[in-house]
Amino acid sequence: MRAAIVAAILLAAAAPACAQEQPQAQAPAANVKVFQLPAGSRPHDVAPAPDGKVWYTAQRQGALGILDPKTGQIRQVPLGEESAPHGVIQGPDGAAWITDGGQNAIVRYDPKTEKVDVWKLPADTGYTNLNTGAFDGDGIHWFTGQNGIYGRIDPKTGEIKVFKDADGRGPYGIAATPSGDVYYVSLAGSHLAKIDRRTGAATVIEPPTKDQGARRVWSDSKGDLWISEWNSGQLSRYTPASGVWKSWKLPGDTPKAYAVYVDERDIVWVSDFGANATLAFDPKTESWTRYPGSAEGANVRQILGRPGEVFLPESGTDRLMIVYTSTAP
Amino acid sequence: MKPIAGIAAAILLAATALAAAPPIQGDPKRGEVAFQKCYACHALEPGKNLSGPSLHRIFGRRIAAAPGFDYSPALRGLATRTKRWDPALLDRFIADPEALAPHTSMTFTGMRNAQERADLIAFLKSPGARRR
Repeated sequence: MRAAIVAAILLAAAAPACAQEQPQAQAPAANVKVFQLPAGSRPHDVAPAPDGKVWYTAQRQGALGILDPKTGQIRQVPLGEESAPHGVIQGPDGAAWITDGGQNAIVRYDPKTEKVDVWKLPADTGYTNLNTGAFDGDGIHWFTGQNGIYGRIDPKTGEIKVFKDADGRGPYGIAATPSGDVYYVSLAGSHLAKIDRRTGAATVIEPPTKDQGARRVWSDSKGDLWISEWNSGQLSRYTPASGVWKSWKLPGDTPKAYAVYVDERDIVWVSDFGANATLAFDPKTESWTRYPGSAEGANVRQILGRPGEVFLPESGTDRLMIVYTSTAP
Repeated sequence: MKPIAGIAAAILLAATALAAAPPIQGDPKRGEVAFQKCYACHALEPGKNLSGPSLHRIFGRRIAAAPGFDYSPALRGLATRTKRWDPALLDRFIADPEALAPHTSMTFTGMRNAQERADLIAFLKSPGARRR
């Protein structure tokens, strides 16, 4: 299947009036490509794949999608009868590690052998609504389940352990810092938590904004955590070394911050369902650059990338936007 | 029989068969298990909105009308086309939310099994769910 490149130019949209006195710029037009994915695929999460390719979870079609941006070639690998994959990341082994809510399982796809491995969660765990995964510094894969759990799988043995979150339902985004520590956030519980890699215990860290709806988390190069807050419409930073929080309200009248990612330049990317756009935030200047969705209801639910590239999967349009941050596409 | 007449007869037969088929009976006990797929985002207690609105007494309620919940444009759009939630509409919605409300912000992509949907609806109708 060959993807149509929908547009190599940024789709025009007027920058909204700034709700605050923060500078805001339109993104330059020449650094964006939009790829049409299979109709109905509903790309949820995205991750860099080997050889310059991009993986996405085709949540509505129970498959892992593979896009080659150089050629536009796309194919989807079925993951199982009940599959509804949510998260995907690339592991230290070069494989795709998928948190599959439909199968209540961790799924691994090996791009060399094309083998798909499925590790079901223990039966007594019940349905967990698996969400997102991250590898710690020891190569252990940690994951969240929105029904109130987090857990770990050892890729060497396949052993799975599941733990209960202190507040019950809500565990959503999860990320590792450069030092290999793992943090996750709880959307319903409105908290950040740090996992003790040895014991599995999680220490809850309460953000200063009550009921903020912490949805996703990512680390910058210094190990500071950036959090997208769905209910409050804020982007927040937590500095573990000092315990200090700082928050910025997204521009616009009704921001709803969904995904967050920090690129190799420590620019923070956050998607806003309220404005149908993704914003690139420069912490040094506290300025925002706006990348509008390619069409109405783009619904970017996760962001990831690699040096020079940021991937914006549009679950609402079945498209994948790539922003080239250092070179022309 | 001419081809067009044949096709029309086949459609009529299929429609008659569908109309005559007994509705799927839901089991509220199994439905409580099915509700685990909704649990992360929806509470059953009145007024308790999470990332999704409370499902307390959902049937008969106006669409996009749970007090205090900030609905997506997709659900507000659905409310302009259809007024209230009933079991048939909820069945269509949970089978494929994106199909009924394009661009919905709801993460869940659908419950394909008709029996499981019937069980879930039976649970949401049940005193056990409504008491919370």
